Amino acid sequence: MSLPPILYHYFRLPLPYAQTLALQERIHQLQLLHRKTGSHKDILLLLQHRPVYTAGRRQTEPTIRDERVRLTSIGADFISTTRGGELTYHGPGQIVGYPLLDLSRYSPTMGARDYVCRMQKTLELHLKEAHAMTPIGSGHTGVFLDPTTKIASIGVQVRHRLTSHGFSLNITREPKSWFNRIVACGLEGVSAGSVETAKDKDMHVEDEIPGLIGRFGRLYDREMVPMVPAQDGEIGEAIVEMEKEASNAGPWPTEPTT
Amino acid sequence: MQGIIRAASRARPITAFPRNSSCIGFGARAQFARTLVTKRFTADHEAVVFDDSTGIGTVSITDHAQSVLGDVVFVELTTPGTEVTQGESIGAVESVKAASDIYAPVSGTIEEINETLASQPGLLNKSPEEKGWLCKIKLSDPSQIEALLTEEAYKASYES
Repeated sequence: MSLPPILYHYFRLPLPYAQTLALQERIHQLQLLHRKTGSHKDILLLLQHRPVYTAGRRQTEPTIRDERVRLTSIGADFISTTRGGELTYHGPGQIVGYPLLDLSRYSPTMGARDYVCRMQKTLELHLKEAHAMTPIGSGHTGVFLDPTTKIASIGVQVRHRLTSHGFSLNITREPKSWFNRIVACGLEGVSAGSVETAKDKDMHVEDEIPGLIGRFGRLYDREMVPMVPAQDGEIGEAIVEMEKEASNAGPWPTEPTT
Repeated sequence: MQGIIRAASRARPITAFPRNSSCIGFGARAQFARTLVTKRFTADHEAVVFDDSTGIGTVSITDHAQSVLGDVVFVELTTPGTEVTQGESIGAVESVKAASDIYAPVSGTIEEINETLASQPGLLNKSPEEKGWLCKIKLSDPSQIEALLTEEAYKASYES
């Protein structure tokens, strides 16, 4: 394991999507810049979002205009992105992970298929080891508990071998009523599951974080080290700013308003 | 020059296909025509076949690229007529929930995009460097071709 560690950070308060996207973009630009001198860092951000629906790269504005109007009217944000995959929901009660990695650190360079496959295995392993849940093989990317219940989703972007966007995993019931308002990932007849529903006991997102980080490190063959924002330069400063934004944003809607 | 000979030898097994790409049918004919067709690569896994008689480079992803991407389900390309700068994003290919950006290997104007990919994105897996070509760029500075990677250098860039 000669590769440098991945620095991780978990945000305790739900983050607004647009600002978090800007944070990913800022870190990506810094990685591109610092790669020239070999001083760039690999980062894993773990967080929850404030309620938001996001569309994937294939979904052009004319095809999603009506959804944008409908879904913002029930109290969520709606943002178009350049990741893979289609429409999905993010919100409190769901862990979102954004690995910002340089795939060319691996030798040979890790391909997109391998990168996504390891992400999927990380999520499946977490459910098995931490919750004794057995996901099924579905033929689709993402994690399914049965053919019509999806608990985790994946949608990433790779630019110049640097990754952005990532995965989401439903822990509590809270995301369910929001998922019920859409056909997620273009899969008709599939509904959202969560650990809480499957185990029928109260769950907390923060309890999942240490185990998930450890498994991420195992699957990507990397040491995981917590960031110290005050000591991690520009990326650290941007993270501190993001924490402030989250605490200023106040309460969020816990279910659709209409 | 080495690169040209290699491009010719690579083209031979596929001469059965129609002559719709500048590197096809190059073999024996090339000794008489004044056309030089050069194939070069980028570290971002793009190939460009440059025809110096037309000044047009045909851009594709490499066979190695398609093999590590997985099944391509969607291809996004910049509109023809767009002027692009070397290294600028000209679209993306989506496979297994991963959107990978593709970059202009050379500067110039996008003359044509491969419209077939809209309905058959899988051509990128089946025939990445031939039927699955992405776009044709009229080069603003043909000397950029020589600065790209030869096939050997490209292979060395990911086999290290």
